[in-house]
Amino acid sequence: MNCSRRQFLVAGAGAVVAAGSGCSRARDLREDARRWLGQPTARVLDGPLTAPTSSELDPVSHVLNRLTFGPRPGDYARVAAQGVPAFIEEQLAPQQLGDWLCERVIRHECDSLSDPQSRLFPRPAAGGDALAQLFPGVTQHPARVGELYEYKDKVLLDDLTRATLLRAVLSERQLFEVMVQFWSDHLNIDPSKGEAKWLKVADDRDVIRAHALGNFRDLLRASAVSPAMLWYLDGRVNRRSKPEEKPNENYARELLELHTLGVHGGYTQQDVMEVARCLSGWTVRDRKKFFKGRVEFIARQHDDGEKRVLGETIPAGLGARDLDRVLEIVVRHPGTARHLAWKLCRRFLADEPPAAAVAATAAAFTAAQGDIPATLRALFATPEFRAPAVRGVKFKRPMHFVVSALRATNAATDAARPLTDYLVRLGHAPFRYATPDGYPEEALHWQNTLLWRWNFASALAANRIQGTRVEPEGLRARLGGDDGLLATVLGRRPGELERSAYQESGSGLALALASPAFQSC
Amino acid sequence: MPAQALVSGQGDQRRTLVVVFLRGAADGLALVPPVADDHYYRARPRLGLAARSTVKLDDRFGLHPKLAPLEAAWRDGDLAVVHACGIEDDTRSHFEAQDLMEHGGVVAGGWLGRYLRTRPAAASGALACVAVGKALPECLLGAPSVSVMQNFDEFTLGGNTPAFRSQLERLYAMERGRLGAAARDTFDALVRIEALRTTKYAAANGASYGRDDFSTGLSQVAQLIRADVGLEAASIDLPGWDSHFAQEGQVESLAARLATGLAAFRRDLGPRMATTTVVVMTEFGRTVEENSAFGTDHGRGSAMFVLGGGVRGGRMHGAWRGLNPDVLERRGLLEGYGDLPVLNNYRNVLAPVLVRQGATAEHLAAVFPGFTLGPLELFGA
Repeated sequence: MNCSRRQFLVAGAGAVVAAGSGCSRARDLREDARRWLGQPTARVLDGPLTAPTSSELDPVSHVLNRLTFGPRPGDYARVAAQGVPAFIEEQLAPQQLGDWLCERVIRHECDSLSDPQSRLFPRPAAGGDALAQLFPGVTQHPARVGELYEYKDKVLLDDLTRATLLRAVLSERQLFEVMVQFWSDHLNIDPSKGEAKWLKVADDRDVIRAHALGNFRDLLRASAVSPAMLWYLDGRVNRRSKPEEKPNENYARELLELHTLGVHGGYTQQDVMEVARCLSGWTVRDRKKFFKGRVEFIARQHDDGEKRVLGETIPAGLGARDLDRVLEIVVRHPGTARHLAWKLCRRFLADEPPAAAVAATAAAFTAAQGDIPATLRALFATPEFRAPAVRGVKFKRPMHFVVSALRATNAATDAARPLTDYLVRLGHAPFRYATPDGYPEEALHWQNTLLWRWNFASALAANRIQGTRVEPEGLRARLGGDDGLLATVLGRRPGELERSAYQESGSGLALALASPAFQSC
Repeated sequence: MPAQALVSGQGDQRRTLVVVFLRGAADGLALVPPVADDHYYRARPRLGLAARSTVKLDDRFGLHPKLAPLEAAWRDGDLAVVHACGIEDDTRSHFEAQDLMEHGGVVAGGWLGRYLRTRPAAASGALACVAVGKALPECLLGAPSVSVMQNFDEFTLGGNTPAFRSQLERLYAMERGRLGAAARDTFDALVRIEALRTTKYAAANGASYGRDDFSTGLSQVAQLIRADVGLEAASIDLPGWDSHFAQEGQVESLAARLATGLAAFRRDLGPRMATTTVVVMTEFGRTVEENSAFGTDHGRGSAMFVLGGGVRGGRMHGAWRGLNPDVLERRGLLEGYGDLPVLNNYRNVLAPVLVRQGATAEHLAAVFPGFTLGPLELFGA
């Protein structure tokens, strides 16, 4: 039994031979375990399942639409009972939320992310903080990043994609997962570049998930020295050992343009070049070396002269500490607060967010010194977020659409290829966006994906996606008939036209999921 | 044979424009190296391409060896090159530059989308415009109808009954604005493509496409053109040009894909090439000087290519001043070679291309507002 999927999949003939026949029995046991672990069996629907009754989206449906990857049956009743403010607070403090089912499934399904032997996934420490155990920062649990190289890169990308989808579907910490997606776009890394194909897994764990609802400063610091980022934006080859050597500007530019100030945030080409000088010398050991994947600062490749960044002088001789000075300058620059606030408001409010909400969010970001939950709390408290006019105006991006359909139907899924292929077709598979700006947010980029949304809706409702199952009849019965099912899916009472189209379509559930209303949130 | 030889003055024949975007900032100085300029070799001691390895274009320029499949088009006079080409903006940001270039300035919607809006509504069918790929490129924002597709086989509403489809149409018919329009385009395109899917396609004239996505996409565009579905514009990307590091192999493989695809497309279309124009563009060029990592960083001017019927090909167009540091654009305060300046605004290449498609001066003013055009004379006898 002590034979993990990792041992099957590590690159190298020896391991494959060693895996041999003894492991086939282990595989059977794994299948058994999957069955009784609740994967991919559907969650048991318990508690009240009362559907929304209002003819328009109400504040409860609105907050579920925006803070989660879509409501499951029963979520509306639960949030209506606890109240919207309590729900928001609960989601802003994910460490208080038990999530054992989700983490257990991940641990079981995605060895590369969770194999205890690799120490990539920490062993439970007695009395430790639950979230710290699940999402360790690099410093608390020195992870052996180098072990990632033992996997075939395709296995890692598959595991990471599946884990991302499973968490989006299953996790109780929905806002946390939404923010993981937000930061994964904001600090986008396409793992297909160089050794990032092995290292993105560590970036996801130690950068994005470690700080998704933490402090922006820490998130940015972790990202700046993330081995995958050093590969993706060429930081590892940014050096100046001789005066005539030109620093590589790639990361420096994206740091200012995308990660912090924004393209109109008030920096110049000169600032980009100065930041590149500050960061010269930081690199990551490649796989031909010992301690591959280790990040290090090589002083002789660092330009240690004086620099001027955004009007501030960084004295000569700081060496590796230039990095922290640069991050301090950019994080406290007002352009950064504005840029991040605008992006957050665009995600949670509207594609063209109202200026007042952006200003309030930026002010909260500044006052809380980059604390992400405090910033979001302020955003959710703006009158603009609560205004009926912004309800249902966001067009779901494809992953949101797919996950919300799985959640609305209480689908059981293994999130394997047959499911993720739909995301590839829809142009929105996780970790497959080539350029550092991350997947676009606005509706107009995604409205040409309707055909594949319709195809997905009908395949899901008809159980034509291998590894994913819904029970339309059982669901319909539990939710109180067609009207209850439609109201649960749409987040409001269906209109007359919707009700009649549903009846006449021959496939009501598919039609509900393919309908215009379900494309928005 | 030269494509224009086959143009018989039939102005009513539908013309197709194919826009190829080289994403990531293609190195114009590697694609079209100024092989007679000593500064080129001084700035690029390791990456400079020796004159004898290139395809000779004229006394000043060569063509990257991997672009050799395009030599025939150059000799036949179907291919024109504009160097030192790009945008006025100097953020050197991929996204900013691509956006500005694809939008045609600081303006809503894309230049091609706006142009297609100037076409009479009757002329634009479900397949008037196709974006090959997964997403809509910025240049097509605002187009009256555009289908995003990766291949024909995918383009079907599979596994559904007519009742499902008609009820879906009923729901989307109530949608106003963009979403409703997108749904209508999708239903229309489904019908047109369905017809196309049932016929088997073979490239004509012995054209040999590559097996990569770019070639595959171009062969699909050729198929749509030859099937007379009313295609007016198509866009296709060839990404991956951001060569900060060890660029030689990277540029070689991309240049090979670019040239193989375009040469096959030209051969495949044969006489239809007379009514087809292909324009190849990129957001900006790269530093004149190579960097410490055998790569080049974000620069300014790059090269553009125009291929098709009626092109005054076989020659370089636009201004060129060489790579003497005195005429280069300064990069901040650092010493050394500057960047290749943008001497030819990209709009002055696109404008004559659109005129070839049928655009009037009034249309051009709407497509490129707030810019005084000085179109290059890329077409004509």
